[in-house]
Amino acid sequence: MAAFLRFEIVRGLRNVRFVVFIAGFPVLLYLIYAKQTGTSQGLTVAAILMVSMAVWSGMGSAMFATGPQLAKERQNGWMRQLRVSPISAPRWFTAKLAQGLLLIIPGFVLLILLGFGYGHVHLAAGRVATLAAVILLGVIPFCALGLVIGLMFDGQTAQVAQMLTLLVLAFLGGIFIPYSNLPHVMQEIANVLPSYHLVQLGWNAVAGRALGVRHVLALAAWTVALGLIAVWRWRQESTTA
Amino acid sequence: MITNSKGATGPAVAFRDVVKVYHPDIKALDHVTFDIQPGETVALLGPNGAGKSTAIDTMLGLRAPTSGEVRILGGSPAAAVAAGQISGMLQNGGLPEGAKVSELIGLFRQLYRDRRSTTELLTLAGIADLADRRVEKLSGGQTQRVRFALALAGNAELLFLDEPTAALDVEARRHFWQSVDTIARQGATVLFATHYLEEADANATRIIVVNHGRVIADGTPAQIKAFTAIRTLRFGAQAPDPSELLKLPGVTDVVVNGDAVTVRTSDADDTLPALYALGPQIKSMEVGGGGLEEALIALTTADNGPVTEGVA
Repeated sequence: MAAFLRFEIVRGLRNVRFVVFIAGFPVLLYLIYAKQTGTSQGLTVAAILMVSMAVWSGMGSAMFATGPQLAKERQNGWMRQLRVSPISAPRWFTAKLAQGLLLIIPGFVLLILLGFGYGHVHLAAGRVATLAAVILLGVIPFCALGLVIGLMFDGQTAQVAQMLTLLVLAFLGGIFIPYSNLPHVMQEIANVLPSYHLVQLGWNAVAGRALGVRHVLALAAWTVALGLIAVWRWRQESTTA
Repeated sequence: MITNSKGATGPAVAFRDVVKVYHPDIKALDHVTFDIQPGETVALLGPNGAGKSTAIDTMLGLRAPTSGEVRILGGSPAAAVAAGQISGMLQNGGLPEGAKVSELIGLFRQLYRDRRSTTELLTLAGIADLADRRVEKLSGGQTQRVRFALALAGNAELLFLDEPTAALDVEARRHFWQSVDTIARQGATVLFATHYLEEADANATRIIVVNHGRVIADGTPAQIKAFTAIRTLRFGAQAPDPSELLKLPGVTDVVVNGDAVTVRTSDADDTLPALYALGPQIKSMEVGGGGLEEALIALTTADNGPVTEGVA
């Protein structure tokens, strides 16, 4: 499985669109907006935005490996080739999930460096570590979401579906627009979205507040629900094929 | 008899009364039964839609039969796949974007316990010059050769190749069959699907002809080629009667389209005098045929029913 994981990561990092997406886009936004002055709930704009962009980048990387890439490989026959090789489906899925998790690292590191260097964010090492752990564990439901998209849609459609899902999650989850600025109805929607809970966890980690059991439970529930859908869809496909 | 890895003697493939139904009206496999012995190189020959790919997918465990039994090296297809005893080159298999050929081969070698050396793989597949190439830069034929290398990465006892030369040019095709021969000499059992009749004849020790999900002939290339005595007679006649023509010696099937008649016969020397003796004014007689292509048409037409009448 280690060989498979290394293989997947190397080729993932060669995908220009993906690298621009996980690193280029959030970095650009950060450079544009981080210099705004102001604070909210004890955090500077630079710190808030560092977390938002790290969450956005993490969500995107987690969903890329499992979503559009998987959809394409289901369609072009690569997955069938893997199914007649000795790698088992559970090990292969584990590798895909691990790929999704490991690929969030470059974007995360870049944004922390930017936050410190460009945004003058000052954080104790402990808080950075908490944030890293929050994002690493918190993107697991997004890996599962990617799997669902990758197993439901075909190649190009999956790409569009992933982008739309990601944008909706980012806007409604309060990543691009602060939660408090959202209309009441939207806040109600945000309250159930995994993106909202993840970014809240991130800000809590950076501010040194209690993380919030509510957010952790919501993300766990999303992981279980999406995981079950992915397993169901996979079984359906491999038995009726 | 050659013994397989489990030390037991027995067929490499046992395909018993297998039925695969995709749709209530369509039987992709219709009670198909055959055994393949270790060491054989078998061609599964038939037109598109005959059931070749379904049969191979079933043997590789990609599809479950609706009924019947498929045993691979004495066990289930899934067990043989998991143990790396069998491998397959599927039709239309794509490769994962972003990977280099050498990385793909490295990955597949690591998936098998018993593996071929990289150098041997590159040589067998004829892709030594492509090792550093990214997969999205490969042509169709190059992709097919890389997929061949992946199928050979593990030293599998049983190799399934589904229309393996479809995208290859003449030179690549020649190299491909040389490599298959090398692997067969090393002791592997090979089953390949093709609708290239010459390919089956030149490269298999046995040919199984399938059409409409059924086995319509099974024998050595020489036996299958016996059907090449078949000739096609095309001529014009006034008000031809198909049932009369069908009674002529050697005739296997008759197609009447207005005044134009096509008769297939296994013995033209017997048929022609009888045909002229029959009386109807025969015009512009053409005798065609011979070759495996004709044999397949004859075999599959016989399978469809002997007489076809009406507007073609």
